[in-house]
Amino acid sequence: MTAKVLVRLDRVTRDFTMGEVVVNALKETTLEIFEGELLVILGPSGSGKSTLLNILGGMDQPSSGEMWFGGRDLSRSGDAELTRYRRNEVGFLFQFYNLISDLTARENVELAANLVEHPLPADQILTEVGLADRMDHFPSQLSGGEQQRVSIARAAVKNPRLLLCDEPTGALDYQTGKLILGLLAKVNQEHGRTVIIVTHNTAIAAMAHRTARMRSGRIVETRVNPAPVAPERIEW
Amino acid sequence: MGVLTKKLIRTIRTTLGQFLAVTAVVMLGISIYVTMNTSYHTMMYSQDKFYLDNNFADYYFHVVRAPQHVTRHIEALPGVVKATGRLQEDVPIVKDGNERATARLVSYPLPMDTEVNRLQLLEGRLFDKDSQGGGVEVLVDPQYAAAHDLTFGDTVMIVTGGHQVPLTVVGTAISPEFVYPMKDASTLFPVPETFGIFMLSHRQAQQILDFSGQLNQVVLQLAPGADAERVAARVEDILEPYGNLAAYPRDDQLSHAVMQAELEGLRLSSIYLPLIFLGIAAAIQYVLLNRMVRAQRGQIGIMKALGYDSGQIMLHYTGYALAVAVLGATLGSGLGLLFVSAITGLYGQFFNLPLVSARPDYAVVGHGFALGLAVATISGLTASRSVTGIHPAESMRPEPPKGGGRVFIEHWGWLWTKLDPSWRLSLRTISRNWVRFGVTVAGVICAVGMLVVALFANDSVDYMLHRHYYQDQDADYVLNFTAPLPEPELTDITRLDGVLAAEPFFQVPVKLSFAGRSEDEVLMGLPADAVMRTLFTDTGRALPVPETGMIVNETAAAKLGVQVGDQVQVETRLGLGPPRHSTFTVEGLNHQLIGGGAYVSLEQANQALQERNLISGVMLRVDPGLAQAVESEINAMTGVSAVLGRQQELDNFYELLDMMVASVAIMVGFAAVLGFAIVYNTAMVNFTERRRELATLRVVGFSFRGVSGLLLKETFLQSVLGVALGLPFGLLLARGMIEAQSTDLYSLPVIISAQSYVLAALGGILFILVAQRFIARGVRRLDLVDVLKNKD
Repeated sequence: MTAKVLVRLDRVTRDFTMGEVVVNALKETTLEIFEGELLVILGPSGSGKSTLLNILGGMDQPSSGEMWFGGRDLSRSGDAELTRYRRNEVGFLFQFYNLISDLTARENVELAANLVEHPLPADQILTEVGLADRMDHFPSQLSGGEQQRVSIARAAVKNPRLLLCDEPTGALDYQTGKLILGLLAKVNQEHGRTVIIVTHNTAIAAMAHRTARMRSGRIVETRVNPAPVAPERIEW
Repeated sequence: MGVLTKKLIRTIRTTLGQFLAVTAVVMLGISIYVTMNTSYHTMMYSQDKFYLDNNFADYYFHVVRAPQHVTRHIEALPGVVKATGRLQEDVPIVKDGNERATARLVSYPLPMDTEVNRLQLLEGRLFDKDSQGGGVEVLVDPQYAAAHDLTFGDTVMIVTGGHQVPLTVVGTAISPEFVYPMKDASTLFPVPETFGIFMLSHRQAQQILDFSGQLNQVVLQLAPGADAERVAARVEDILEPYGNLAAYPRDDQLSHAVMQAELEGLRLSSIYLPLIFLGIAAAIQYVLLNRMVRAQRGQIGIMKALGYDSGQIMLHYTGYALAVAVLGATLGSGLGLLFVSAITGLYGQFFNLPLVSARPDYAVVGHGFALGLAVATISGLTASRSVTGIHPAESMRPEPPKGGGRVFIEHWGWLWTKLDPSWRLSLRTISRNWVRFGVTVAGVICAVGMLVVALFANDSVDYMLHRHYYQDQDADYVLNFTAPLPEPELTDITRLDGVLAAEPFFQVPVKLSFAGRSEDEVLMGLPADAVMRTLFTDTGRALPVPETGMIVNETAAAKLGVQVGDQVQVETRLGLGPPRHSTFTVEGLNHQLIGGGAYVSLEQANQALQERNLISGVMLRVDPGLAQAVESEINAMTGVSAVLGRQQELDNFYELLDMMVASVAIMVGFAAVLGFAIVYNTAMVNFTERRRELATLRVVGFSFRGVSGLLLKETFLQSVLGVALGLPFGLLLARGMIEAQSTDLYSLPVIISAQSYVLAALGGILFILVAQRFIARGVRRLDLVDVLKNKD
């Protein structure tokens, strides 16, 4: 692939101190993420994939090593710089959707839209994810799949260059999961956004342009997928 | 409307009870602030204007009798702008049924234009300079006129110079010096039934009082910046040949002094009461928002992940406090402005002061808002400052269990092992939320303290009255004679049917001097074995009247700087005869709550005047069954200038106290809101925070009672501590208030009865129980499955 590098991790480590124990959640990880690719990061729980995702998303910072986004070294950035990065460049999708319970679907999306200068129209995005008639419902009135779709809309509305998804189908049933993956593929293909999906579900790797496999805090293998499969054809 | 604003509004809706409770506290705080400040400013402004309009005197001089032209010499002194010479004399009023009343005749030179102490006409017209054949025209103070139904043309008969003189009422008037028309300091408040101010032309007064071409009072207007004490000394020098009786600045003028004390009390309350309320409101909001931030940790994490910065999120939470402040301040200002006219109206009943209509003082309202918003901003930002520490990645994981470990009580094994698990759980919860616990306890302390303050005034006045009327002065009647009499003439009175005992006294106005300082006082001569007048030390030990030497009241002693053993110079200042000088050794200091005085034996009082066996009044004990008869007999006596009846005085007092009931009720209400708001909020916060835990306990098998009992234990511990500390705090608060307001006239002792303490404590427990009922309802409604399933 000759595409432009969007994010580059260079020997990134992340240690957590839990009481008297130091846990090396991420060990000397080096990875390049290309503009417009759909990357699936696979690994069992505890392998460090969420830590990696958090660092990629500017929610956490490396203990050592560098993370470059465009020309910026975010591993040295302060809180304000990271906030700007999250605001303008990153969209998040969480396993448990993490919608604000006090806000309706539309408002949850607007909450994100308000942060950027040129957001996509919230209603249009919600319609695209199939929630045209559920916009004014509160999260408690929506099914898990619907909540995750709101979550996608919320991430997409800012039109970020990087969409980070942490086990996006983890809490969903099979059919709904596939639907969500379809939406993510659409964001990647039609809007040209870089999408990174972190999952322990190996089947999802089939839809990726590239997969990275993690174990015990390291990337043990990256593999280019020459023929990505449409999500609706994936079985697990 | 912004999305965050919508979120804010919904958060308010879901915590509506708490929101309203804290809003109520802010509302009360702001309303007190606005009411009291506006009232204070209105009163101050009215007072200033009234004083200025009528040229209220800066200095007073009483003399026995001086020629009218002496004012010209005084006016020539540097620092004196104007000196007005006039007459002031208390004379008996002849009333139907031999009732006693005193008229204070005050003369006014006409025209009044530039004179000091002018009067302001309320009804009718100004009196004529000379008698028009229709008798002497007078203006009467409105309270006396109202108490006696006097209207234009009515006649009041007074006695002066041994014969009766009719006065024709031509209207009512007020003057800066009679804003609070008290007869003297010992009466404590105006009694219009028995005392009135009668204003008449100076020339008329000179005629009926037999003071032709003379005066007995000079009132001064001083130049701005003049050295009052120096001017006064020179005026006294000029007046010396005419018999100085008293000299005092405006600050010591009775009406002014009482009003200043009252206004000072108002000013202090206008500061400390709102501070208590806003402080508590801030504390409640702190607890509320702090817990909200913790509970919404995950949401904050999402917002941060989306790209909101800490400042924006903190502002969002502070918005809750600001909403409380804006609503509370709006309602409070409105309420406050409504109250203003009620409060100033109440003052209007007490003071003869033309009130400048209480306009809404927008500056005060503005300050109220600013104060409310400032408090909200501080509490909001402080409570939400933990937002900055929330890491978006971490926040979305469940919060790790809070630092376990032992709490301090667990180190006392003997106690800990005796506690059942639910007590242990409650104690641990409290120990891990020290700030919240402390804030709640502080709130309960304030509320209970306020209850104590609301209730204590009654106890103190009760005590003061009992002490004054049954211990210091244990007589049914006190009679003052128009002129000193030889003691044997008392038999006329002691022989009256129903008089059980009589004790004479001899009062002489004097000037006490010691080490360059001097004080006007009353020298009171008492029989050696006096039982109707008893002096006490500050420790409550009775002080017998010494055969030689004097006993001085503590207030005067402190002002003079004298101690036991010191020699005090005494100069008599009686209207009759030349001033006499003598020296007395101070044998003791007595502690009294009302009035002042220096006490000597009857013989020594006579010696001070170089007289023998004279008395100026008598105290009586009478047979209760015959009191009426005795009273009408003594009222009929000529030669008696004033009669004070204990029962009548007490009745007057209690009537006045009844007027305080409303203000006590308001205070109690305010304290209840305060107490309820804080206990309810904390309990609610505890409940919401632990819904999951409580639901788990229910699932495990705890009964509804068991679970709400768990919360009750925590509330109970907080409240018991709050009540226990609130009672002494109330005592301190009461002391502070009294300290600030006590005057030379009287000092209210801080006495709090056991009953008041019990009532305050019960009040405290009551609002705890009410708050608990709301919480119990919450526990009953816990939807176990739902709570356990949902993450906040």
